[in-house]
Amino acid sequence: MTTSSPAGPAIHVAGLRKTFRVPVREAGLVAAARSLVRRETREVQAVDGISFDIAPAEVVGFLGPNGAGKTTTLKMLSGLLYPSAGEALVLGHVPSRRESAFLRRITMVMGNRNQLQWDLPALDSYDLIRAIYRLPTDEFRRTRDAFVELLDLGGLVNKPVRNLSLGERMKAEIVGALLHRPAVLFLDEPTIGLDVTMQKRIRAFVADYNRQTGATVLLTSHYMADVQALCRRVVVIHHGRILYDGALADLATAFGSMKTIGVTLREGAVDLSAYGEVIGDEDGRILLRVERAAAPDVATRLLRDMPVADLTIEDPPIEDVIEHVFASAAPTE
Amino acid sequence: MSSPTVERRRREPLRPLRLFGLFLRVSVLNELQYRANFAIQLFQSAIALGTGLAVLALVFGQTDELAGWSQPELLAVMGVHVLMGGIIGTFIQPNMVRLMGDIRQGTLDYVLTKPEDAQVLVSIREVRFWQAVDIVIGGVVLAFAVAQLGGGVGPGQAVAFATALLLGAVMVYCFWMLLTITAFWVVRMDQIVELFEGVYQAGRWPVTIYPGWLRISLTFLVPIAFAVTVPAEAVTGRLTPETLALAAGFAALLLAVTRAFWRIGLRRYGGASA
Amino acid sequence: MNVRAWADIYATQIRIAIADQFQYRVANYFYMIGMIAEPIIYLVVWSTIARQQGGQVGGFTPGQFAAYYIVWTLVRNMNIIFTPFGWEERIRQGELSGMLLRPIHPIHWDLGYFAGWKFVVIVLWLPLAAVLAFLFSPDLDPRPIDIAVFAVAIWGAYLIRSVVYWILGMLTFWTTRVGPAFELIFTAELLLSGRLVPLSLMPDWAQQLANVLPFKWTFGFPIEALVARLPEDQLLGGLAMQALWIAIGSVGVALAWRVAIRRYGAVGN
Repeated sequence: MTTSSPAGPAIHVAGLRKTFRVPVREAGLVAAARSLVRRETREVQAVDGISFDIAPAEVVGFLGPNGAGKTTTLKMLSGLLYPSAGEALVLGHVPSRRESAFLRRITMVMGNRNQLQWDLPALDSYDLIRAIYRLPTDEFRRTRDAFVELLDLGGLVNKPVRNLSLGERMKAEIVGALLHRPAVLFLDEPTIGLDVTMQKRIRAFVADYNRQTGATVLLTSHYMADVQALCRRVVVIHHGRILYDGALADLATAFGSMKTIGVTLREGAVDLSAYGEVIGDEDGRILLRVERAAAPDVATRLLRDMPVADLTIEDPPIEDVIEHVFASAAPTE
Repeated sequence: MSSPTVERRRREPLRPLRLFGLFLRVSVLNELQYRANFAIQLFQSAIALGTGLAVLALVFGQTDELAGWSQPELLAVMGVHVLMGGIIGTFIQPNMVRLMGDIRQGTLDYVLTKPEDAQVLVSIREVRFWQAVDIVIGGVVLAFAVAQLGGGVGPGQAVAFATALLLGAVMVYCFWMLLTITAFWVVRMDQIVELFEGVYQAGRWPVTIYPGWLRISLTFLVPIAFAVTVPAEAVTGRLTPETLALAAGFAALLLAVTRAFWRIGLRRYGGASA
Repeated sequence: MNVRAWADIYATQIRIAIADQFQYRVANYFYMIGMIAEPIIYLVVWSTIARQQGGQVGGFTPGQFAAYYIVWTLVRNMNIIFTPFGWEERIRQGELSGMLLRPIHPIHWDLGYFAGWKFVVIVLWLPLAAVLAFLFSPDLDPRPIDIAVFAVAIWGAYLIRSVVYWILGMLTFWTTRVGPAFELIFTAELLLSGRLVPLSLMPDWAQQLANVLPFKWTFGFPIEALVARLPEDQLLGGLAMQALWIAIGSVGVALAWRVAIRRYGAVGN
C-alpha cells in the first residue's frame, strides 16, 4: 500500500520507455506472399527514456509534434499503458497497477472523447459519476453547481448531450471529468476544435481549479495559447526524448538563435533582403529574421541607412521557436 | 414532342438489360479484389446451411413427411429458399439499401439527373457479388434433392421452375421497392432489412403448413409463397397452371403498382428538396 | 466497497438505461417484432408434426409448443447482452480508455445498463405476448413455484450469458479476426440451448452435451421452468446449475480480464 508523501513530487518519472512492435508491410506480390508465412515487425520507440518530476499544484505544458510521445506518456501516467522500462509514480502510486485509490484521484480529459451519455442530459451522467466515485451527495451537488456556473452552462445540462454544440459539449465533459475533485489532471488536447471564446473559458476554468484545489495539471496541446495561458513550465518532447524542460519564458532564449526585426519605413518600398531574411511584408511593415548576435548591428545599420519610422526587435513567436527546435533535432533510428 | 432521350429508349427496349450487364461487370471486377469477403461469405453460408440441415434432420427424425411434403421435397424447398435468398441478397437488397440511403441523405439527385430511367438505375446499379455463393449452394442442394426424388426434372418442369423463380424474384423486388419508396415519406427505415430477413425465414417451409391468415399474408402481403413455395412446387410436380397464371398476373400487377408508386414518390422527393 | 454503494451504482445505471432505451421504444418494438418470426415458424412446424403424429411429439402437444415458443420470446430478449463483436469498436473508438479510467470494473456498466434495458423490454413485450397468446392458444398453467423459479431463472440466464460472452469478447484484444470463432459458438448455442427446439427433441448425445454446457441453462431451462411443470428437484437443481455457471463465468471474467488488460497495456489500441 503506497501513500503519497506530502513533500515529494506529485508526478515522478525516471527513465520511462515505451516500445511498440509495429508490423512492416511492403508493397508487391512477393512481400505479400512472404507476409502470409511470417509477420515482419519492427520496433518503434514511442517514448525513449524520459525523466522529470512535477511538484504538487504545478501546471506543466507538454509540447511536441504528432507522434512525439506526448499522448503515450500521458497514457502511461494514467495507467492505460504499461511502460516497457523505467519508473513512473503518480501521487505515490504505480499507475499501471490501476489501484482504485489511484483512479479516484486522477482524471484524464481527451479532446474529442465523450464520456457522457449521448441521448440523456449531462445531469444524468453526473449522477452516475457521483455513484461511481462515492461522492457525498451535498458535496457533490455543491461542486457540480459551482462548476456549471463557472463554465456558464446553465440550463444546458438539462438538455440531451446530442443537442449541444461541440463547445457546450466539451464544457459539460470537463465538468464531468472534475466532479470527483481529482488531485492530478491529465489534459490531452482539451481545446481541440473549439472556437476562441470557448478555449479561453476552459483555460480560465482549469487555472481556477488549479488555484482553488492545488491540483497538479499536465497538459498537452497544439495551441500555444493554451500553454502560454496556463503553464509556467514546459516540457518539449520529440521522437520520444525530452529536448527541453524549464520555464516557458526561457524557451526562446534557450533555442531561439534568431531574432525578428520589424521595420516600418517612412516612405517608399525598399528591398531589405541585404540585411536579413525577409519573412513578412504587410501594410508597410517588413519582418526580417536575423541571427541573435547580429541583431543589434543590423538594427544600427538599418537606422543609419534607411528612412525608418519604426523599428522593433523581438523574440520570434513561440510557434516558430518550437518549429525550429523540432526541425533541428535529429531523429534517431 | 419527344426528347432525344425518349427516342433512344424507344429504340432500345433491352437497354435496362445492357445497363445491368455493365453494372455487373464493374461490380465483379471490384469485388474480386476482396478475396477475404469470399471466405467470410462462404463461412457464413456454410454455417447457415449446416443449421438448416440440422433442423431438417431433427424434423426427419420425428416424421417422414410434413403437410404432405416428403423429405426430399422439403430439402428441395430449402434449396429454393437458399437460392432465392442468394438472388435477393445479390441483386435486390443491395440496391434497396442504397436507395434508402440516397433518399435519406438527399443524394438521389445524382441518379435523377442521369439520362437513364431512374427506377431502372436504382434497381440494378448495386450487385453484392459474393452473396452469389448462396445461389450456388441453393442450386446444389436443390439438385441433390431433385436427384433424391428419382423422377428427374423434365424440360417442361424446368421451364416452369425458371419462370416461377423469375416471377417470384420480380415480386420480391416489387415488395422491397414499395417498402423502400415509403422512405420518401417516412425517412427512418433501418429495421426493414432485419424485419424482412426474419419473415423470409418462413419460406424455409412450404407455406401450406401455416394457419390460414398467416398463409395469406405470406402470399399476398409478403410474397414469400411465390418466391419459394411456388418454384418448389414446380420442381416437385405440384405446380398447377392456375398457380403459375396467378403468379404471372400478380407479378404484373405489382410491377404496375410499383411503377405508379415510384412516380408519386419522385414527385414528393422533388417537392421536398425544392 | 459496501453494499449500499454498489446498490447506488446499479440503481443509477439502471435508471439511465431505462431513460435511454425508452426514447428508442419504437426501434425496440421493431426489433422485437422481427424477432418473433423465428419462434412462430418453429411453433407452426412442430405443431404440424405433433398433429400428424397423433397429438404430441417429444412430449409436447401443439398447445405446449405454443407455450414454449411464446415464453421463448421473453427469454430470447432476456438473453440479449453486450455482443462480443462490440469489443472491437470499444477498443478502436477509445471508449475502452474511458472505462479503464473509472475506479470500478467495466463489466458493471454492461451488467447495469443491459439490466435496465430489460425492464423496458419486458414492458414492451407484454402486449406482444397477449397477441401471440390470442393467436396460438398456448397451453400454459404454471404453479406458483414455476413462476417464482422462472422469475429468478431469467435473470440467472442474463447473468450467465453476460459473463460467458464477456470472456469470449476478450479474444478481440489479440486479434480482430474473431468473427468465425464467435459465429461457431453462436451456432453451437443455437443448437444446444433449446432455442431451436425443446431439448427433449434432440438426440440423446446432444442432450447430454447440452447438460454440461452453459447454454441450456440460459434458454431451455428458464422456459421449461415455466412451461413444462418440472418436478421440484429439477427446478431447484436448475437454479443451482445457473449459480454454478455464474460462478465459473465470474472467475473466468476476472482471469481473462487481467490477461486482456495486460495485453492492452502492452500494445495500446
